[in-house]
Amino acid sequence: MSDPKPDALLPLPTAVFHILIALADRDRHGYSIMQDVSTRTGGKTQLSAGTLYSSIRRMLEQGLIEELADSPDPSSSDERRRYYRLSRFGKRVAAAEVERLNMLVRQARATGLVTGA
Amino acid sequence: MRAKAVYRALLYFYPAAFRHEYGDQMLYMFAEQLGDARRSGGQLSQARLWLRAALDALVIAPQEHWHVIAQDLSYALRTMAASVRFTVFAVLSLALGIGANIAIFGLWNGVLHAPLPGVQKPEQLVMLSDPDTPGMWTGRWIGRTDGDRQRLTYSEFEQLRDNASVFSSLMASQSNFDTWRARYGNGEWEQVKGRLVSGGYFQVLGVTPVIGRAFTAADDQGDAPYAVLSYNYWQRRFGGRPEVLGQTLTIRTTLLTIIGVAPRRFFGETSGQQPDLWIPLRMQPALMPGQDWLHDKGPEKTMWLNVFGRLNPGVTQAQAEAQSNALFQAGLETFYGNNLSPERRRDVLDQHLRIRSAARGASDVRTQFAASLTTMLAAVGVLLLIACANLANLLLARGAARRPEMALRLSLGASHGRLIRQMITESLTLAVLGGLAGLVAAVFLHAALARLMAGNNPDFHMSFSLDPLVVAFAFASTLASALLFGLLPAWQATKTDAGESLKDLGRSASASRGRMRWGRFLVSMQLALSLPLLVGAGLLTRTAYNLQRVDLGYPTANLLLVRIGTREGGYDALRRQRLFEELLSEFQRNPAIRTASFSLLGVFSGGNSALEIQVEGDVAKSDNDRGSAVDTVGPGYFSTLGVPMVLGREILESDHAGAPRVCVINEAFAKQFFQDRNPIGRHITAMEERSKTTCQVVGVAKDARTQNLRGRIEPRFYMPAMQPPSDIVNPIFLIRPVTASAPALAVVREAIQRADTSIPILESATMEEQLAPLTAQDRAIAQLAAAFGAVAILLAAVGLYGVLSYGIARRRSEIAIRIALGARPRAVIAMILRETSGVILTGLALGAGLAYVASRWITSQLYGVAPQDPLTLMLSAAMLVAVALGATYLPAQQAARLEPMAALRE
Repeated sequence: MSDPKPDALLPLPTAVFHILIALADRDRHGYSIMQDVSTRTGGKTQLSAGTLYSSIRRMLEQGLIEELADSPDPSSSDERRRYYRLSRFGKRVAAAEVERLNMLVRQARATGLVTGA
Repeated sequence: MRAKAVYRALLYFYPAAFRHEYGDQMLYMFAEQLGDARRSGGQLSQARLWLRAALDALVIAPQEHWHVIAQDLSYALRTMAASVRFTVFAVLSLALGIGANIAIFGLWNGVLHAPLPGVQKPEQLVMLSDPDTPGMWTGRWIGRTDGDRQRLTYSEFEQLRDNASVFSSLMASQSNFDTWRARYGNGEWEQVKGRLVSGGYFQVLGVTPVIGRAFTAADDQGDAPYAVLSYNYWQRRFGGRPEVLGQTLTIRTTLLTIIGVAPRRFFGETSGQQPDLWIPLRMQPALMPGQDWLHDKGPEKTMWLNVFGRLNPGVTQAQAEAQSNALFQAGLETFYGNNLSPERRRDVLDQHLRIRSAARGASDVRTQFAASLTTMLAAVGVLLLIACANLANLLLARGAARRPEMALRLSLGASHGRLIRQMITESLTLAVLGGLAGLVAAVFLHAALARLMAGNNPDFHMSFSLDPLVVAFAFASTLASALLFGLLPAWQATKTDAGESLKDLGRSASASRGRMRWGRFLVSMQLALSLPLLVGAGLLTRTAYNLQRVDLGYPTANLLLVRIGTREGGYDALRRQRLFEELLSEFQRNPAIRTASFSLLGVFSGGNSALEIQVEGDVAKSDNDRGSAVDTVGPGYFSTLGVPMVLGREILESDHAGAPRVCVINEAFAKQFFQDRNPIGRHITAMEERSKTTCQVVGVAKDARTQNLRGRIEPRFYMPAMQPPSDIVNPIFLIRPVTASAPALAVVREAIQRADTSIPILESATMEEQLAPLTAQDRAIAQLAAAFGAVAILLAAVGLYGVLSYGIARRRSEIAIRIALGARPRAVIAMILRETSGVILTGLALGAGLAYVASRWITSQLYGVAPQDPLTLMLSAAMLVAVALGATYLPAQQAARLEPMAALRE
C-alpha cells in the first residue's frame, strides 16, 4: 500500500476504529485488543474472534496496522501470540476519522440538534 | 477441550488461507473469552459467546470467502488484460464451442424434449393417438404391425368426448397441417396455414386468448364459421390491431369471422409448427366440398384426428385406457356390424387406443430429426472437447512461463491450494466470458441450424427459447469447459516448490519435460477426437452424394411435374375424364412436348396410397400380404416416365371405361404375390371404396422409385385412370419436354388455359426441384459435419504447432550444437518429424478406435456406404496425417535454419 489517501477509507467501521484506539497506547495481541475495547466501552462492545481477525486481516492489507516480528514481552506471555502495532498511516487515518466525527458533532451543535458539554 | 474441538470445526467455515493465518489466534482468543465467561459464572454469557461464534461462521466467514474470490477475480482480470491476444482467442473459441453446443442442445431439447410452449400444465396432457406420425388414413384396415390406432375419426372422437368419464376434458385437432387460400374482405388471395380443431381445443390446452374469445363446446354442435388467429400471424398480418375482431375472411367459398387471437407463446398442439389460424372442425365439409369427414358413413372410416385430453383427478393411465378402449371397441362393433367374415371381424376389432403423455405435443419431425440431432450434439460436444484441449495446451505453455511467478508466491507463503484456486478462477473467468458470448452466438446459430434442419419441411419453425434445461446445459457446459481446460495447467503450473524460485525455472529441464509430456498427450487426444469427426463427415458426405445419385429406374432430366385442380371448375367424374383426354391430346399436339401422362400420386409428391387386395392363386400368409401400394395412372404413364416393361404391355389409351379392367404390377409385386409364376393374365381384386374391382394383369414394369429414395421398393400395382372407379380430382401431369424444362412450363400453362381457364395449377416443379428437398437435410447435415471436421482438424493442427514450437524453442541450444557439429538441416527436420510421429500415431490409433465405435451410431443415417467404410477411414486418416505433418514442418524448418552461434550466445 503505497501512500493511499486516508479519506478513501472513511468512514471507518466501528470495529476498525476501536482496534485503532486500542493500539494507540501500546502494541497488543488479539485478546488484549478485545479486552481493551470491552473495558473502555464498559462491556458494551464485545468483539468476537471472527469480527476481530477479519478486521485485522483487512487492516493489515490496508496498512493501518503492522504485525510485530517478535513478541515484545517474551517473558510474560507465550510466544505463540501475535502482536499488532499501529502504523503511521493508521495514525493518519484515525486522525482523519476523528476530524470527520468532530465536524459532525460541531455541525450537530451549531444547528441546535444537540446541546452539550 | 471439547469446546476447542467444536470451535476448530467452526473455523472450517472460513477460507483455508484465512484459517491458516488466524485460526490459532482465534482459537486462543475464544478459549480465553470462554474462560472469562466461566469465571464470571454466567451460563448465559457462555451461551452468548457460542452464539456469536456460530453467527461469525455464518456471516463473517462468507465475507472472507467473497474477499478471496474478489481478490482472485481481480488478479485473473489483470492477468487476462495483460495478454489480450490469448484472452481474445480463448474467449472466441469458447464462445464458438459453447455457443454451438447450446444451439444444438436448444434444438434437440425443443424437438425431442421440451414441453409444449404456452400450454398450461403440459405434463398432465395425454394423447389418444400417435404423436409422431402426421397425416390421415382412409380405408379399411390392412396390414399393420401392431393394433395401436394412430388417428381417430370424428365420430370416434365425439363418442369418447361425450361418454368417457375418465377424462376431465377432451379435444381433437386435424393431424395434417393445412395450407388454405384465403382473402380478407375483397383483398388479394393469400396463403394461410392452419388447422381444424374441436370446440374444446383452447380450453383443454389451458389457453386464454389475448383478445376476443376462443372456441367453445357450442362450436362442436353446429355450423361455427369462426377463426382464431395466432399471435405471430396477428402481429405480422394485422400489425397487432385489435379491430381485427369481427373482420371476415373467405376460404374457398366459406365466409369466416375472426373471433379471437391466441396468446404470444402459444403455437398449438404440434411442436415445431406455427399455424396462422385455427378453425372449428365442424367447418370441414364447407372447406373441403364433396368430402364429409365428420361422419363414419361406411364402409370406410376417415381417420384424420389427433385426440388430446386431461385425466380426471385420481384416474390412472391404465384406467383411462381401459374405459376408452371399451367405448372404442363398442363403436367398432356398431360400425362394422355383423356382416363380416369371422376372420375379417377379428381383424378389424383388433384395434386399440393407447394413452400416452402429450406433454411434448405432437410432432411430425421428432422421429425424423432425432437421430441427426443426437449425432450433431455428440459431434459438437467432441468439438468442444478439442477446443478445451487446445486451450489447456496454451495454458500449459503460459503456466510454464508463469512458474517463476508461482514460485515467488509460494515462497511468500501462498499454499498450493491457494494457487490452484487462483488458476481455476482464471479459467472460470475465461469460461464464463466464453459462455456468455456463446449464449449470444447460440441465438444466431440456432436460427441458422433450424433453417438448415428444416430443409424439406417448410412448416418447421422453432425459435430459440431459454428454458430451464437449456440454461442448465449452458451453465454445465461452461463449468465443464473451465475444469477441462483449467485443471491440468493449474496443477502443472503450481507443481513447483518455493525453493526453486531462485533458479531459472523457465529453463529447468523437469518443468519443460512435464509440460512437453502433457502437451503431447493433449495433442494426441485432439488428433484422436478429430478422426471420428472427419470419418463421420466423410460418411455423411458420401451419403448425401449417393442419395443425389440414386438410380430411380428412369431418367430424371427433362421431366416436369404439374398438379392441377379440377374442384374449382365444378367437374364431375365423367367430365374430368374428358378433360384429361383433352389435355393429353393438347400436349401431344404441341411440338415442344415429347410425351405426357398423369397419375394420382405423381413422383415424390409425399403422398401414398394402398389398398387391400386379393391375388389370384395367392394365399395370404400374414396381414402384410393382404395389402399393396397402388397408383392410378393415365395412358402412356410408363413410357413417359421412362420405366421399361419387363413383361407384357403398359396402360394405354385403349384401356378406357368400356374396355376390360386391366392393371400393371411392378417387379416387387410380382415377386411377393406370384413368386415364379407368370403374372400375366392373372387377376387382382382390389377392395376399393364401396366396391370390389377385379382387374387382369397385363404387364410387369421394372421396379422404379417413385415415392422413397431410401428403403426397399414396395410392391405396387397400377390401375388405369380412365377406367372406373378411378376418379382423380387433383392429378399430377408428368411431362417430358423436348428441350430444357423452364420454357416448357409456359407451354403447359397455355395448353391448360386453352382447355379451361378455370383450372388452377396447384403445384409445378422440375424433377430436380422435386427431389432437392428430399436430400436437403442429408446435405445440410453432411455440410455441418464437414464444417465440424474442418474446425476440429484445424484446432488439432494449432495445438500440434504450439507444442512443437514450444519444444523447439526449449531445445534451441541442443539443436544449435547439433548443427554446429555438422548436422544437416534435413537431418534436423527428420529428427523432429521422427519425434512427432509418436504423437501422430498415438492419435491416429486411438482415433481409429473411436471412429470405429462412433460410426456404428450413425449407421441408420447412412446410405450406400458402410459405417466402417475403409476408403473413408483411410482418406480421413490421410487428411489428418497431412495436416499434422504440415503443422510439424513449419517449426521443424525454423529449427533447421537456426544460426548455431546466435542460438548458443543467447
